[in-house]
Amino acid sequence: MSFEIWAEKYRPKVLDDMVDQKEIVERLKSFVESRNVPHCIFAGPPGTGKTTAALCLARDLYSSAYREHIMELNASDERGIDVVRETVKTFARIRSIGEIPFKIMILDESDNMTGDAQQALRRTMERYTETCRFILIANYSGKIIEPIQSRCAPFRFTFLPREEHDRYLKHIAENEDVNLLKEGLDAIFEVCGGDLRRAINTLQAAASLNKPVDAKVIYSITGRAHPADVQKMIGIAMKGDFLEARKQLRDMIQKYGVAGTDLIRQIHKEIFRAEIPEQWKIRLADVVGEIDYRLVEGADEEVQLSALLARLVEAGWELEKAN
Amino acid sequence: MYAAWTVKHKPKSLAEIVGNKEAIQKFIEWVKSWEKGAPKKRAAFLYGPPGIGKTVTVEALAYDYQMEFVEKNASDYRTEDAINRFAGLASQYSSLFGGKRLILLDELDGLTGTSDRGGVKAITEVVKTAQSPIVLTANSAYDPRFSNLRNYCLLIEFKKPPASEVMKHLKRICVLEGIQADENALKFIAQRSQGDVRSAVNDLQALAQGKKRLTYEDVSWLGYRDRQETIFSVLRMIIYGKTCIGAKQAVGMADVDIDMLFEWIYENVPAHLTDPHDLVEAMDALSTADLYRGRIRSTRDWSFTRYVIDYMTAGVAMARQNSKVHGWIPFKFPQRIKMLSRSKAERAMQLSIGYKIKRKSHISAVRASKEVLPYLRIIFKNNVEMAAGLAKWLNLDSKMVEYLAGSEEKAESIVKLLS
Repeated sequence: MSFEIWAEKYRPKVLDDMVDQKEIVERLKSFVESRNVPHCIFAGPPGTGKTTAALCLARDLYSSAYREHIMELNASDERGIDVVRETVKTFARIRSIGEIPFKIMILDESDNMTGDAQQALRRTMERYTETCRFILIANYSGKIIEPIQSRCAPFRFTFLPREEHDRYLKHIAENEDVNLLKEGLDAIFEVCGGDLRRAINTLQAAASLNKPVDAKVIYSITGRAHPADVQKMIGIAMKGDFLEARKQLRDMIQKYGVAGTDLIRQIHKEIFRAEIPEQWKIRLADVVGEIDYRLVEGADEEVQLSALLARLVEAGWELEKAN
Repeated sequence: MYAAWTVKHKPKSLAEIVGNKEAIQKFIEWVKSWEKGAPKKRAAFLYGPPGIGKTVTVEALAYDYQMEFVEKNASDYRTEDAINRFAGLASQYSSLFGGKRLILLDELDGLTGTSDRGGVKAITEVVKTAQSPIVLTANSAYDPRFSNLRNYCLLIEFKKPPASEVMKHLKRICVLEGIQADENALKFIAQRSQGDVRSAVNDLQALAQGKKRLTYEDVSWLGYRDRQETIFSVLRMIIYGKTCIGAKQAVGMADVDIDMLFEWIYENVPAHLTDPHDLVEAMDALSTADLYRGRIRSTRDWSFTRYVIDYMTAGVAMARQNSKVHGWIPFKFPQRIKMLSRSKAERAMQLSIGYKIKRKSHISAVRASKEVLPYLRIIFKNNVEMAAGLAKWLNLDSKMVEYLAGSEEKAESIVKLLS
């Protein structure tokens, strides 16, 4: 077993290694051949190979000297306008030496950039096109301002198909000598929903237990948001005890570090399984969707989810009355 | 330069502490009595209202008598591990280097709720057999939870120092800061603090920092600092408000910032809105207020604050249609804040590990701390070799290893493999 983060160790190095996103990879390869790259937006859900594609493109383009020609910035860590004004500009305006006249600036998680910073970036992109090409990576291209979008070639990444996902994990398991059972693999897919980085992290954590990786192992390490806990919380809310339901929610978020988006996903699933009138299911799904969107917009997880719990209290109460 | 004056001018030595002369004398004598072997009461329990120098007294004594000072506060000693570790410390009188040791368990009131019930009991056990002096502090010693623990402690009451004593302390600070302050300005601040020295110093800093001179006019416009009463009446104005304007005005009266006020409302609304429809409306309003907070963060446009206020006050007030409250429902301090402040240090640690991960992989520190770190934790708890390998690869320091491993012993066995 090796001692790196596997998600990093098994990250494809060149475009030819990339298992999926075939059309995108083909187009990127054509950029390499023509030795020209436009500004790009790579948009898509996490763990689908956006950052990897950008790095592979750079490696194929510059081969061994690629490190000198690219810069990676992460907007989650450095999101303000000052970064654009200083770091980005400095990098962008200096001409690179070598046969390819431009450098590549990779702006990861750029949907977290502030509006100001994006406005500033727009100028920079235009002015220094000769010397620098930008690859903006984002989960939602909609959060990138229109003028930037119009300057970029858009690439939409999608979740890996199940077979590719499985093949990749099996390959890693084999290499690392991990006994990954079929049900374990199913559980990983169920929990991670096609996010390959998360899937690999999960596999590595599971492997650290030194026993066959079955569904139980996967649920115990992703531990959080055990379906049973979520069901319980929903049940308490529907019975009308909002304060207790909120306490459960608080514990899950603060003590066990469950992510709000995880909870949303599970609550959404549970609502359609619950024994409530069919019309209610779609009504609640609408609320769940709105809350989900608010979380994406950066709202507070507990506050948002407890608004949802209040809806469940109301639903439970109405149903009681109807009976 | 902008250090808090409560820290910057904290009394170092007992002589600099204002008020509570008797209590301090009693405390000194008890510590001295340890010279002749462990006394009958092996812990001193200092109790009294906040901000009057309980903790400072302990620190200053350790300084004056050159004792090794070990402090744990409420956030530290909840876990069994931590208590055991502290039990180890308490079991010997001399520290590693032969000096004497003084152990402080600060803010015992912080041990609240049913989940911590074991905590007080465990502390009591440690106190019974302690070989070095243990000092406990709390706002009240007469909480029923401490009834058994009390039997093993020397109780020392700390009282609010009179305004004249508080003034002495303020004067000293003004001299050190080079501020010429009017006597009656300081008197006003001292009286207003109602014996809470810490809040008096905070007020002084807020009013006087950067000034050469502090006059009575500078301070007189201040109202009385909010003791919890104020926030309660603010909450009442909001939750039971009849008009939008009335509810919105409450914000101006609150002596807490908008985010803190939000937490107070968010904590207390559900208990006061018993009708499910009302509850939904109120929680929706809070959710929308919160959404605007998110928008402020992403746009940095603070003018959106007005909508935050609209929803969290008027929105909540207008939600109330059918709720009937029976009996008296007390307002509660936001539990989330308690939990959050406890985990503040923890989040800083998580982020610093996030930065280590970022160096090695193409992911932001923020995301790494949220998405990768939980997995590392599992690995560090379960697989020493893999953990050691990763620790080396990521270049983690021993504190980080200990945090991820969750216990000192685990961390030690991981670190052993590293060398």
